[in-house]
Amino acid sequence: MSREAMLTRTLVELADTLVDDFDIVELLTTLSDRCLEVLDVSAAGIMLVAPEGDLRVMTSSSEVMRVVELFELQSQEGPCLDCYRTGRPVVNQDLSVVNSRWPRFAPVALEAGYRAADAIPLRLRSNIIGALNLFRSEPGSLTEDDVVVAQALADVATIAILQHRASEQAQVVNDQLNQALNSRIIIEQAKGMIAEQGGLDMQEAFSRLRRHARSSNLRLVDVATEVVEGVLSVGAFRG
Amino acid sequence: MPGARLDRILARLADSDLVASARLCAMCAEATEMSGAGIMLMSGDLPQGSVCTTDAVSLLIEDLQYTLGEGPCVDAYQHDRPVLEPDLAAPITNRWVAFTPPAVEAGVRAVFGFPLSVGAARLGALNLHRDRPGQLTADQHTDALVMAGLAARAVIAMQADAPPGAIGVELADGADFQFVGHQAAGMVSVQLGVSVADALIRLRAHAFQQDRRFADVARDVVGRRLRLTDDADRPT
Repeated sequence: MSREAMLTRTLVELADTLVDDFDIVELLTTLSDRCLEVLDVSAAGIMLVAPEGDLRVMTSSSEVMRVVELFELQSQEGPCLDCYRTGRPVVNQDLSVVNSRWPRFAPVALEAGYRAADAIPLRLRSNIIGALNLFRSEPGSLTEDDVVVAQALADVATIAILQHRASEQAQVVNDQLNQALNSRIIIEQAKGMIAEQGGLDMQEAFSRLRRHARSSNLRLVDVATEVVEGVLSVGAFRG
Repeated sequence: MPGARLDRILARLADSDLVASARLCAMCAEATEMSGAGIMLMSGDLPQGSVCTTDAVSLLIEDLQYTLGEGPCVDAYQHDRPVLEPDLAAPITNRWVAFTPPAVEAGVRAVFGFPLSVGAARLGALNLHRDRPGQLTADQHTDALVMAGLAARAVIAMQADAPPGAIGVELADGADFQFVGHQAAGMVSVQLGVSVADALIRLRAHAFQQDRRFADVARDVVGRRLRLTDDADRPT
């Protein structure tokens, strides 16, 4: 398959995963797997920044790479971290000559069998959410085209992740809204039941409901639910 | 979107006499050149209430759908796609047998429902209506989709900072979640010795049979001007 064909297939494949409730890890795994085919690298992995602000390894195409990536995070130096901090690609780093740049990371990566490292930012404008790591076991360089292709793949992943996060956040807020609405509805229903039973107005019915909740150390909505479900008799609110 | 219409929308946005949600509904109607608009929240396939309505007719459209559980918003939400009825008085298929007659009587000639969602989160539907029949133009359709997306994000934004268990202040302000209807359902459940869910159905059936707004019936029950009797209001 030509590189254009592989790239097209990869983009289509990535787009296919972007259904409403897609799985981020699956998307990132697809992305790192395809990097191996399209870019002629030995290993590819992705780190994302967690809500707490620290980078986490999300996917690695091999276990060896995963160990190196974890070491990179632990030692707080390496191509991925430089890329994330600057928001710019870090490419064609020959690990055997850049010893001074990453004195702790480079020996570990060399020991694991890697000779060259690249990192491409996952970035939308000023929002940097992580980096795509590419490790090669042969020295050599990515071409300018390779870097453009890698950045394009990283961009697709970035947009997908940001949209997914916005969607998840909206889902959480929507669930909270429905929950708040339901609680309020149940309380209003219980008020109606208590008011009817005792010949009270809604204000007085609410006072009695609240008093009962306080004296029995329960949440208002829990007492109201018991009333509506008939677990707690409305007679309990007389006088 | 033509510049003049955009100007009118921006004017609505700056209209400080309206609460945030009312501005939102007004903008939706302006952007799509409709007679009015309403934003309905849905949950579990049923209407939960209105975030806002622009006028008495859009309030009626929301109330009918709340009472009957059918109409353009209900369908738009359930099928997660726009629902277009360009000629409500003479529809090709009469899909809302209970909703349509009172809506037409109130002067509605075209209704359109657009789902309100942010990604996988489905919130409800935007309701648009017009006092004359006719299809949406391609521009109006596009603008309606844009406004529905904007409205969905606005609803989320209005709820986002609310404390747990509470409805966002801006959202509650101007919204109608039929709380009086739920008080009335509680009362009717005691009166008739039925579950609150059944009482709610009885109230809705009563409103429909008597050709009255659900909210008005509920207010009469809570004001003790109306008692549902066991036989007369049994749904048939």
